Amino acid sequence: MANQNPFSAIELFTSALRSNIIPNQEYLLQGSVIDSSAEVLHNRLRGLCDAAETGPETFHDHEMCFSLKASNPGGTPQQQQPFLLRVRRALDHPEYPWQLRYLGQPELGDKNQPTVLRSCIDIACTPNVVEFLSELGCRIEFEYVLKGYLFRKGRMKVTMSKIFRMGQAKSPDSLESVTGSYLVELSLLAPSGQDAVADEIKVFAEQLRPLVHLEKIDYRRLQQPFT
Amino acid sequence: MLFFNFSLQLFAVPEGKSGPQVIEMLTKRAIALGAVLSGSFIVDCETYSSTASLGAPRSVHLLHNSETPASVFALLEAASGNKTVALVADNLFDLLMLKLSNFYTAKKQTKIESRGPRFEAGDFLVKLGSVTMGPAFKGILVEVEYQACSLPAACWDLIREFMQGFLGGCVPSTPPPYIQVCSFFLLPSRFGDMLGTIDGINQYLEQFNAFRKTTGIR
Repeated sequence: MANQNPFSAIELFTSALRSNIIPNQEYLLQGSVIDSSAEVLHNRLRGLCDAAETGPETFHDHEMCFSLKASNPGGTPQQQQPFLLRVRRALDHPEYPWQLRYLGQPELGDKNQPTVLRSCIDIACTPNVVEFLSELGCRIEFEYVLKGYLFRKGRMKVTMSKIFRMGQAKSPDSLESVTGSYLVELSLLAPSGQDAVADEIKVFAEQLRPLVHLEKIDYRRLQQPFT
Repeated sequence: MLFFNFSLQLFAVPEGKSGPQVIEMLTKRAIALGAVLSGSFIVDCETYSSTASLGAPRSVHLLHNSETPASVFALLEAASGNKTVALVADNLFDLLMLKLSNFYTAKKQTKIESRGPRFEAGDFLVKLGSVTMGPAFKGILVEVEYQACSLPAACWDLIREFMQGFLGGCVPSTPPPYIQVCSFFLLPSRFGDMLGTIDGINQYLEQFNAFRKTTGIR
């Protein structure tokens, strides 16, 4: 049923932007736990998080990372910077919509800022998104498979997942794990300016110590060659 | 929401009449056929073009329809020129398009929309749209959807008769091309209803493109 007086989508969108209700900021802490200790952390999370009796949701996702950059050298410096977009699909639920995700540059802030902050746009879409991105001019950079558990604690999301290489055959049997540990991520998506939630995340991360140390990870330092 | 039995018809504005006058006239005719006013509608379209740095030119048409308010339709005209990829996404796609502004920019003065009253007449849905590009009035588009059947070939005659009832002779007696090719849409598909919605959006885009190429009122 249409509204009596529908606003145009652009009007609604502009007003949502202006009133700052779009959850487009991700507060994030990351860490890892070795496979042999994963069960202990799993039990701890199960005890601390919501829906303790039903247990966490499981997920098995395929993620592809695409980049868009100028194909000729004449562009502006911004155009020379690759623009990254991620596509995720649930391998265990092929009927689910696919997800297109934009992640901005992570801001680490000073040492008083409890979490990494990055802009984040999650968009559910139809499965032809890969074809759409290719025609848009994007190139696939890398892909991997994630398998693990998703816990929720209020608005916070905790994932514990193993990363697998995508085999040549691209079949689930050819999965080869990248490391002998689980990636643990604690995140919360909120409209910008709600910095109080970062403290909430920090407090929760403290409760998981010493099983896992969730920290602000500086990717730029990780990308530097070892000396 | 199925749009399989959806027809979008241009109604030529008679000389000496204004847009609102034509809408009023068509409203009277629709009401005489038993149609009941049920709100209003809007379909809009903005076109983004790739910047020179991306090489071969491409365009992304971003459309919204008040009938499906949580979705954005992004129709990409590929660089090869003979292919269109139609993505249906959540409405945060609009925000992503802003982030892409280094590579895709909105063409100036080409934002176009069709808005007006929406009627229900039994199983028919009728929308009388005034098309405007920026501040300029461009013409009238009438959308008729038959909601009771999803076999276009089986009910085209019914739609045509209904449309001729209040639009008169401007309705062609042969089905529009999309009905002839729509056997594709009747293949069993999980995304059948998505394709159906996209089919309606495609017709709007075709008409909008024709309006953009016309100077003055069609």
